[in-house]
Order: sequence, then C-alpha cells, then structure tokens
Amino acid sequence: MQEYKKILISQEEVRPLAQRMRESGIPLAMIHAFLRDDGKGNVSYEYEVGSGIESYTVDGVNELPTISDIYDLGAEWPEREISELLPITFTGLDTSQRLFLPDTLIGGQGQILVLPMEKVIEKTRGKEGGQ
Amino acid sequence: MSYIVPIGPYHPALEEPVHARLYTEGERIDHAEVFIGYNHRGIEKLAQQKNFIQTLVMVERVCGICSHSHALAYAMALESIAGMEVPKRGQYIRVIIAELERLHSHYLWLGIALHIIGHDSLFMHTWDDREAIMDILEELTGNRVNYGMVTVGGSRRDISDEQRKNTLAMLDTIEKSMDGIRDMILGDKTIALRTRGVGILTKEDALRIGAIGPHARASGVPVDVRKDAPYSSYEDFDFALVTHDGGDVFSRVLIRVLENYESIKIIRQALEALPAGRINLGTRIPRIPAGEYMVRHEAPRGQLCYKVVTDGGEFNRRVSIHVPTFRNAPTLPVMLRNNSVADAGLIIASIDPCFSCMDR
Repeated sequence: MQEYKKILISQEEVRPLAQRMRESGIPLAMIHAFLRDDGKGNVSYEYEVGSGIESYTVDGVNELPTISDIYDLGAEWPEREISELLPITFTGLDTSQRLFLPDTLIGGQGQILVLPMEKVIEKTRGKEGGQ
Repeated sequence: MSYIVPIGPYHPALEEPVHARLYTEGERIDHAEVFIGYNHRGIEKLAQQKNFIQTLVMVERVCGICSHSHALAYAMALESIAGMEVPKRGQYIRVIIAELERLHSHYLWLGIALHIIGHDSLFMHTWDDREAIMDILEELTGNRVNYGMVTVGGSRRDISDEQRKNTLAMLDTIEKSMDGIRDMILGDKTIALRTRGVGILTKEDALRIGAIGPHARASGVPVDVRKDAPYSSYEDFDFALVTHDGGDVFSRVLIRVLENYESIKIIRQALEALPAGRINLGTRIPRIPAGEYMVRHEAPRGQLCYKVVTDGGEFNRRVSIHVPTFRNAPTLPVMLRNNSVADAGLIIASIDPCFSCMDR
C-alpha cells in the first residue's frame, strides 16, 4: 500500500508551504477538491514526499490563493479545473478562458459536480440539443 | 510574415480531439497555445451515483488503451481506504496485465509515430508485433481492450499454466523482433532527420512544468511510480528505470523501445514466480468505510492519480481522476516553439497523448 498522510493546514499556509516545497524540489502530484455537505470546500495539495504522498488539506474554505506562480502549469491546470467543476475559486488565478469544460456546457455555468444530475440532463438536452 | 495556424480540434495527430493555435513567422512557430476539453464525458459526475463495482466497470472505460490502469488505480484506492490486503497471486496477475498493457500501448504509439514520420514499413512491422500482444491479452482476459481483470480485493480471472506458457512464448517472439525495430530506429536516416532535435523539452522545463512518465524520462527526469512508490508487488521485480537526456522526439521514441524490454522482463519474472493461492478476496460488492486515499499507478503514459473519497455509504463521495496527459499536455507550447509548422503534428503526438482520457 502506498503511504498517504493527511495534514490539515489553514489557507494562510498554502503559499508559504508551496514555496518551501518548490524550493526543496518536491513535486506537486495534484490538487484535489470536493464539497462537504454544508457546501464548504475541501482542497488537498498532494505533494510527493519520499515514496509517499503528504496531503496538505484546507477544509471548510471556498476561496484560496493560487500557487500557479510557484508551481507553474503543474498547479495552474488543476486550479482551473477545480474552479470549473466546483464553486471553489483561487485568488490571482487567470480564469479568462475555459480550460476543461466546454464554454457552452449548461449555458456556460459549468460546476457540474454540484448540480443535480436531473438538472444537468435537462439543461444539456433543452438548450444545446444534446442526446 | 506572421500567421496564426489553427490545428485541430479534429484529429491533429492521433485520432483524438485537441486544438493548438500556432503563431508563426513564416514556417517557424514563434509560440503556441493548446486548448483541451473537447471530449468531456462527465465520468467523475457519474461516479458519484454508482456503487463501487459499477464505478470499477465505468472507470475502465475512461480510456480504451490503458483501461486496466484505471480499474487498477480505482481498486487500489478503495482497498487502501478499507485496509484490504490483495492476495499475492492477485497482485502478480495485476502486474502481468499492466505490463502487457504498457507493451501494447507503447507499440501502438511507436507505430503511429513511425507513420507520421513517414516510415510506413516499420509502422506495419510494429503493429504486426502488437497483434501478438493483443492476442495474448484476449487469451488471458477474453477481451482486446477493457479486460475486466480487476476487482476490489484482487483479480477476477486466474492465469492457467497453458496461458502462462503461451505468454512466455509470445514474449520470446516479440523480444527478438524488437531487436530489429530498435536497430532500425537507431540507424535509419529518415527517422533521424524527422526526430532528432525536434520538439525539445529540456530537463529544466520538464521539472518546472511537472512532466511525468516516459515523456519526462526522455528529458532525463528519473521518475517512475513503480520505482518511486512501489505497489502491487513491483518491488519483487528486477527492472531498470530507463532515461535519455536528448529531450527530443527521437528520445521519446527510443525510451519507449527500451521500456518494452523492461516490461518483457517484468512479465517473465511475474509469470515464472507466479505465487500459488487465491487471486482475490471474493467478488461481492465490498463495504468501504468512510475515508479518502490517493493512489498512483505508472500507466503506459506516466503517473495516473486516483483520489477517492467515501462516506461509508454505497456510493463514492468523490472520484478524482488525473491522467498523465493532464501533466504532459502543458509542455506542448514549450516543445512547439521554434519548430517548423510541418513538425507540429509529430510534436503533439510525441507526448503520447490521450486527450479523451484527460477530459474524462
């Protein structure tokens, strides 16, 4: 079993941590996110430390600072993807263009992970001529 | 004179959608942009409404090439949450299929690359050998793709002694043939002219952007999950982590040829030392407690990440899938810069992209 360690941090720690990790040559494996029942975000920064993953998690926050200036496109694409799929935003991230979801999906609304499936089907069929 | 040359989104290199916009000065690409998201299928959304076995079947269809990788990574995430220990024989069978998948994926890409390069005779020779691998996969699993070999807690099918012998015989045949392919690639002038010095990704850029898999290894970055964070008994096998410091399309071709030899070595060892015993922990729908885990698997194109969050219920709370192309596609603008427009298709193809995989 691969080692996986979860560590809770505050949103203020996100950037200093990323800076330290980058300077130490630690790769950022991915940024993951999901929503809690109360609609608050849970965002994990998964760093490859040794043979395991250290998952630095900010819980209960829907707005975080970007680390795309620290980890380049390795962080920019995951941050853009999360902000398209979920109501979680990254301050300082350029979201002027869509990365992942089509511009027209659900009338440009995106964030399909939080919409009820019936609404997704209704919107895609009704407005865009989907199957 | 400056032009903007759009390429794609319909099948610019491989038969998958991606769009590149090349900003050119005459024939030279000054800079480029890449746009993704043309094949989003909502798989992560669907995964929130399916039980664990249904999701296992679905994620195997994220990709038609590395289907086993997806099922394996998802199952490993659930097993890690539940603290399951997969029987050793089940682990070895998973490795055998994973490495056969890597072989057929690398052969597939080699053939396509050679076709784009213009060496169609070697393309056909490569794909002829690939058929032998596909036949063995069909014999072992019943399918040429979407093998259905993984279940939560082990493997779904065993490997008989006859299948074991047939697979070893196939490996002998393709290994011998691979020598010829390798020599041709190393010595052919056309291949050298089309690939050497083309689409360079330096080691510094690969590290800066976070490239992974054979793509990163071809730029001299020694990363491989099978070595860095072994799983499913990979630590039992003797194989080399192959790197090359050229960083060009030629290095990417060569890396995949050399990695085929390593996959053959792993499969041989796994088949010859296949442990006795059970192959799984049972095939009932598993009960997975609340938890979360991220696992990594070295898929043919590089590190595949699955993060699964469960709440103790019947369904997944969240399944987050990130394929190697998601990490490697951002390197394309760097690789395209200062190359000729005529080489753009080959450079895009050289990361061995799977855009449909990436879009999920």
